Amino acid sequence: MTNLEKYVNAFCESLEVAEAEVASLVYGESDAWDSVGHMSLVAALEDAFDVMVDMDDIIDLSSFEKGKEILRKYDVEI
Amino acid sequence: MLLDGKNALITGSARGIGNAMLHVFAREGANIWAFARTKSEAFEQECESISKQYGVWIKPLYCELTDRESVKLAFKQLMADKQPLDILINNAGAMGQDKMFQMTSEDEMRSIFDINFFAVIELSRLATRLMARNKAGAVVNIASIAGIDGDSRLDYSAAKAAVIAATRKMARELVSVGIRVNALAPGLTDTDLVAGLSEKVEQEQLSKILLKRKAKPEEIANVAAFLASDMASYVVGQVWRADGGILS
Repeated sequence: MTNLEKYVNAFCESLEVAEAEVASLVYGESDAWDSVGHMSLVAALEDAFDVMVDMDDIIDLSSFEKGKEILRKYDVEI
Repeated sequence: MLLDGKNALITGSARGIGNAMLHVFAREGANIWAFARTKSEAFEQECESISKQYGVWIKPLYCELTDRESVKLAFKQLMADKQPLDILINNAGAMGQDKMFQMTSEDEMRSIFDINFFAVIELSRLATRLMARNKAGAVVNIASIAGIDGDSRLDYSAAKAAVIAATRKMARELVSVGIRVNALAPGLTDTDLVAGLSEKVEQEQLSKILLKRKAKPEEIANVAAFLASDMASYVVGQVWRADGGILS
């Protein structure tokens, strides 16, 4: 599985959304991505890429694209 | 056994109530990541001995809970074990001082809040993200009756009140991912920490207790084991007093 596939998969499984929806997701603007969904998403990303995300980055993780940028800090290229 | 096969993280497990929890949780079948501040041969041996006695694993992990990096490092070691985390016991804390409101400095307040409140929040964030992966878990925050009734220590009672408020907030949010969060509010307990209480405060507290004695640490640990267990599956967002009977 490529990193992009793992990344998309983390969104789909933790937020329970279809693959086609993930790219347009924004935190707080979708029912699926509330604070609990956010925690599940961070957990799924940590699990998928074996990283531990810092608090500041958890707060910054506000969209599908922003997540890619954040993971780059942890040497994960999507 | 109450906790058979569960994996628990207990902070402040080298002494006092946390140390009693180490024994009680192992006796009840739990494997334990035993967080402590300082590495010591005696503690390592104690963990090994309890582990052999009850047929569970106990892994001592050392960190300074008020240092975010130190906590992360210890938590990474826990995660490296690739075991599910079922239970978090936020036990470690400091006592605060019996001082007048006007005489309690902001620095003293911050120092007590760092260990008694912010460390609880930080570790809970890490632990519940791990628990969320399995859609199950139990968190028990060790608060205090001082956080409910108040007492002569502004720093301590305010920090414990904050823990209680955080417990309720966490419970509301985390129940949807299968995590139960509760607080346990012990009364006067026979530990090193209480030995630092002034005679006045201790006598004042004892006079209100129906049992007319301090709790033994294991009596508090027993309640924590229950709250952490599946036997307490319908207990969510509560603050359980274990105070020997204080009715007014």
